[in-house]
Amino acid sequence: MKCVIAGAHLRGVVKTYNLTFQECDPLQAVFAKHMCPNILKVHSRLLADIMIHFPTSQEEVTLSVTPMKVCFKSYTEEDTDFSKTMLTEIQLNPDEFDYFQVGVDSEVTFCLKELRGLLAFSEATSAPVSIHFDVSGKPIAFSIEDMVLEASFILATLSDIEKETASQQPPCFSQRQESSKTCMGKSEKTSLDKDSNTAAVASKKPQWNGNALITESAKPTSPLAEREIKSIPRVTKKDRTGTEGTATTAAEDHATPEGEAAASRYQEFHSLFFGAVSCKEQAASSHISHSLATASDTEEDFGNVQSSQVL
Amino acid sequence: MPFSTQPSASGEQYVLTASLDNARHLSSLLRAVHFQDHATCFATANGIRVTVEDAKCIQANAFIQAEIFQEFSVQEESVTFRINLSVLLDCLTIFGTSSLPGTSTALRMCYRGYGYPLMLFLEEGGVVTVCKINTQEPDELLDFDFCSTKVVNKIILQSEGLREAFAELDMTSEVLQITMSPDKPYFRLSTFGNAGSAHLDYPRDSDLMEAFHCNQTQTNRYKISLLKPSTKALALSCKVSIRTDAQGFLSLQYMIRNEDGQICFVEYYCCPDEDITEAEL
Repeated sequence: MKCVIAGAHLRGVVKTYNLTFQECDPLQAVFAKHMCPNILKVHSRLLADIMIHFPTSQEEVTLSVTPMKVCFKSYTEEDTDFSKTMLTEIQLNPDEFDYFQVGVDSEVTFCLKELRGLLAFSEATSAPVSIHFDVSGKPIAFSIEDMVLEASFILATLSDIEKETASQQPPCFSQRQESSKTCMGKSEKTSLDKDSNTAAVASKKPQWNGNALITESAKPTSPLAEREIKSIPRVTKKDRTGTEGTATTAAEDHATPEGEAAASRYQEFHSLFFGAVSCKEQAASSHISHSLATASDTEEDFGNVQSSQVL
Repeated sequence: MPFSTQPSASGEQYVLTASLDNARHLSSLLRAVHFQDHATCFATANGIRVTVEDAKCIQANAFIQAEIFQEFSVQEESVTFRINLSVLLDCLTIFGTSSLPGTSTALRMCYRGYGYPLMLFLEEGGVVTVCKINTQEPDELLDFDFCSTKVVNKIILQSEGLREAFAELDMTSEVLQITMSPDKPYFRLSTFGNAGSAHLDYPRDSDLMEAFHCNQTQTNRYKISLLKPSTKALALSCKVSIRTDAQGFLSLQYMIRNEDGQICFVEYYCCPDEDITEAEL
């Protein structure tokens, strides 16, 4: 597939680019932005200035809001040795935001790395970033609307139930028609209930229903935590091969000893990431197609998944 | 300045003596060819030529003619030695590389001959530094044998037209393909990288084009990693001449005007990439 871009340069010089690209199946995310009780609108510059204070190694960040203040802080797991960690916390006043609406006090934790990608992208446009979110566990959406494009980045958030290392709600992905190409960049997430004797992780593939990706939530084996895991193969420049192509979920009826979840508490997030598609990703994307194809073959129970049409 | 009264130690003669009020006239040119640690210096009464080579495929020459120097004397027919160019540049810029208006580093260079080190006396603001750099046996240099009778295609361009192109070259491409032709596309630079190919076409009637003498359609590929260092010379220059011969050897000649308005030349010679005999347009 070739896309040709030709431009007239100064003094009559012409530059022609022949770029290769691939078609990808558009995905429908199922996420209702308008149903989010919390909406913040902020200039991307401010968001970038906030994030710059977090070390680059910081993976997850928690956004905590009340009607009185907004706080961004580093996310720590329970077993973090506080004497050896640097924690960052930034508090903001509601009047720093172009638009501030907090319907419900919430604390959401999402992947900072993914957000940095968005911020880099938003620097190119000068449009403000809108943040729509709900309580922990529900997805958080970062959107940019400009005259020529609309971009939506939907990230999963940690569901913090009873301080368990919990699951996350399935992020639903949206692809706006007029927007730039979006590539699904999803990372897998596995979670482990430390209280459970058997590690409850099994391989499971996301279920396809036409264009919509509906992920199931697993009925917890342990009465303690509701666990939902879904993972979608990631399309990134770094090749993710092998087991990461398959989705993993918490066990419903089948609790199998942890296999690839040997990383134990490693939690990853789904995200819709605006990324370039290069030939190198061919392997990854065909891998995705493969697993997506197999997904539809599996029949699993539907969990209580919220699904409403995306705006 | 103390240098002019410098006595030659016990009557020994230096085979090469050169004085320069502003060492930058030399250091900036040497930087334009600094892609390897070692260089061969060749001095005659006409001036100094510094040559750097790599992989037996590419050769860069910096010419600093005698007129650039305030004092220049070569006692033998020619003086040749090999020297560590990185060290030489470090010494020439020992007072720093940033140029404050009004200040400049003065240089006096002396060489006693075979087996002796190259002596540099550098002075700025009353501070004097003396450097002695060991010299080595000169290497056998490539002779690209590029004379005007063998030139098939020749283009002279204003450097500003090429600067952006070279700075933005897709380095994921292994080669830089150069097409020169009396017909369209006249002059084209192409790269073939991971994301696709890019072509840069210069029309023959562009006002960037100072001279256009193409007799034959030629397409040649050159290893981009070898040509990338020439970007430094391009950045300093005001004009560049691009020539190819029948075998596809490339000659790039850069006309560089220094701070005092004097003209110096840097040239790059490159062998075509032999893997490709037929090139795609």
